[in-house]
Amino acid sequence: MKSQNERKRTFLMIAVPILLLFFMFNTLPLLRGVMYSFTNFRGYGKFDWVGWRNYIDLFTDSRVGNSYWFTFKLALVATILINILSLIMALALNAKIRFKSFLRGMYFIPNILGALVVGYIFSYIFTYILPAITHAASMLADKNWAWVAIVIVCAWQSIAMNTLIYISGLQTVPEDVYEAASLDGATGWNKFRYITFPLIMPFFTINMVLCMKNNLMVFDQIMALTKGGPAQSTESISFLIYNNGMSGGQFGFQSANAVVFFIVIVIISVLQLRFLNKKEEQL
Amino acid sequence: MAGLSLQHIWKKYPNGYEAVKDFNLEIADKEFIIFVGPSGCGKSTTLRMIAGLEDISSGTMKIGERVVNDVESKDRDIAMVFQNYALYPHMTVYDNMAFALMLKKTPKDEIDKAVREAAKILELDKVLDRRPSQLSGGQRQRVAMGRAIVRSPQVFLMDEPLSNLDAKLRVQMRAEIAKLHDRLGATIIYVTHDQTEAMTLGTRIVVMKDGIIKQVDTPTNLYNKPDNLFVAGFIGSPQMNFIDARFDGNDLIAGGTSFEIPLEKVEVLRNGGYVGKTVVMGVRPENVYDAKAEALCRLTAPFEAKITVFELLGAEVQLYFDFAGASMSAKVGQGSRAAVGDTVSFAFDVDKIHVFDKETEQAIVH
Ligand SMILES: Nc1ncnc2c1ncn2[C@@H]1O[C@H](COP(=O)(O)OP(=O)(O)OP(=O)(O)O)[C@@H](O)[C@H]1O
Ligand SMILES: [Mg+2]
Repeated sequence: MKSQNERKRTFLMIAVPILLLFFMFNTLPLLRGVMYSFTNFRGYGKFDWVGWRNYIDLFTDSRVGNSYWFTFKLALVATILINILSLIMALALNAKIRFKSFLRGMYFIPNILGALVVGYIFSYIFTYILPAITHAASMLADKNWAWVAIVIVCAWQSIAMNTLIYISGLQTVPEDVYEAASLDGATGWNKFRYITFPLIMPFFTINMVLCMKNNLMVFDQIMALTKGGPAQSTESISFLIYNNGMSGGQFGFQSANAVVFFIVIVIISVLQLRFLNKKEEQL
Repeated sequence: MAGLSLQHIWKKYPNGYEAVKDFNLEIADKEFIIFVGPSGCGKSTTLRMIAGLEDISSGTMKIGERVVNDVESKDRDIAMVFQNYALYPHMTVYDNMAFALMLKKTPKDEIDKAVREAAKILELDKVLDRRPSQLSGGQRQRVAMGRAIVRSPQVFLMDEPLSNLDAKLRVQMRAEIAKLHDRLGATIIYVTHDQTEAMTLGTRIVVMKDGIIKQVDTPTNLYNKPDNLFVAGFIGSPQMNFIDARFDGNDLIAGGTSFEIPLEKVEVLRNGGYVGKTVVMGVRPENVYDAKAEALCRLTAPFEAKITVFELLGAEVQLYFDFAGASMSAKVGQGSRAAVGDTVSFAFDVDKIHVFDKETEQAIVH
């Protein structure tokens, strides 16, 4: 048996370098970001401390307000859409059908493509193919519809992973429980409502939280499809932080935005987990 | 309530295994049918086909007058106690039992009454708000039972519903099931490995082996007149003694002893052309007597054997011994003084000797 000390040394040998790396590339930039959020740093040159100024301005800046409105609208709609569709897909792919494994593989492909790649493909579809078919202007050029295009792209890609999670959830439900339900007189819908859904509730929770978080941080798709346009109608929070922070000379201000956004996401995730966990327990 | 009719039912599983072969059975309304048979003989498979959980490969199944081959489980109006319980893991005991009634939109107070009544019968009142995972095996099994009895379906299917209960509870539940049957007048099909359950509950017993029905009859007939060696050996515990014996035209000769049999049986054997042939003589342990003790029946000639095992079964004693190349047993009164190693002289009850054909294994005469 190894001595206590030796074990401790092994532990430290593994943990310390990782901790250092994590600190250098994650914690330090984060702290610097927090620091800059109290300055008027423009990304270059000199800067002054401005105290809580940036944070106060955040609440009055209409561009930031718009980006929050757009991001939450997108995240909410996309999350609901993604979860409904992936659940349906999972149910279909879990049924006794032929070519099940092949189909599951096929449907997972979107997930292995990079978001930017997918974005550019859809950009092409929206700009050239769809208008050619519908003889209408591109969705991407219409400030009332551009966000829908982004929802579609986000959904198309996320459904793959979410479906996979739901399929693994469905496989945890034992077959005999469905048999018992059939004999108790349950229809297909009854079985879903009273058996399947409650039993895959933990998977639903995970999917909702991850999906919401991913969608709130939407960036690549916007980069590829609209670059925030038209008329700033599709500026997500992340996009705004990047765009105005890096090239708009608002590094300090957008750092404050990032800090607030970080806190918002944490709060939402925690609340969601709390709420859904409670549901899980009830069921 | 309704009767059932199973005509030439076959079940071939996708892997090619034939679990049930040419199953024919007419079950009358309100009958209490018991399925028995060795593990893997197709009892559960048959129940599952009746329930509609398993497709019928060929044959016709009727519930009442309706052919149900293509009717879905939910429309068959059947309640089933699963061998592995199949409880709803996310529901409380109460909800497990209430589920079927809830789906039928039964008024809340009626559901409550039914569930509480069932819980009382099954001694589950104290665990109504627990989940299945928080129950013992026996409690789970009773919940499975409760889920069936809160309903009043046309047919009850019970797959070893008491297998996990302790002896006392088992006797109690057996009585409850008998009461339930009387009260609801329900048709019940019941699988069990317990001989007592089979003998006491059933109006008829179906004995199966390798997917084939070996005999269907009332418990008494099955016990007294088994159709073949398999049934004779399967029904009754400890099992019937089998001895190879030669029929000399008058007596059955085994181990150097001539066992006389009643004249009618001699006639049957003679007419069947068994003179000079070897047959299988079957005698139940309770029909083997200590030849020295007083018996109220006519005994055959005695034979001697050495006791190999002595088992005290409470009120009775089970003696094991070897005779004529067969291992045999006798159930004798507690007064028996015999001990292991003793040589005891035994005799059979003349009227209780069964004779079977050695080749076909069918009964010749009882
Ligand atoms: N899904 C299946 N696919 C193939 N063979 C199966 C399947 N289910 C059961 N069998 C086989 O069918 C036979 C009958 O099984 P069944 O469950 O009906 O037995 P049983 O009589 O209920 O046994 P037990 O008393 O052990 O419960 C067994 O040999 C089993 O291996
Ligand atoms: Mg079985």
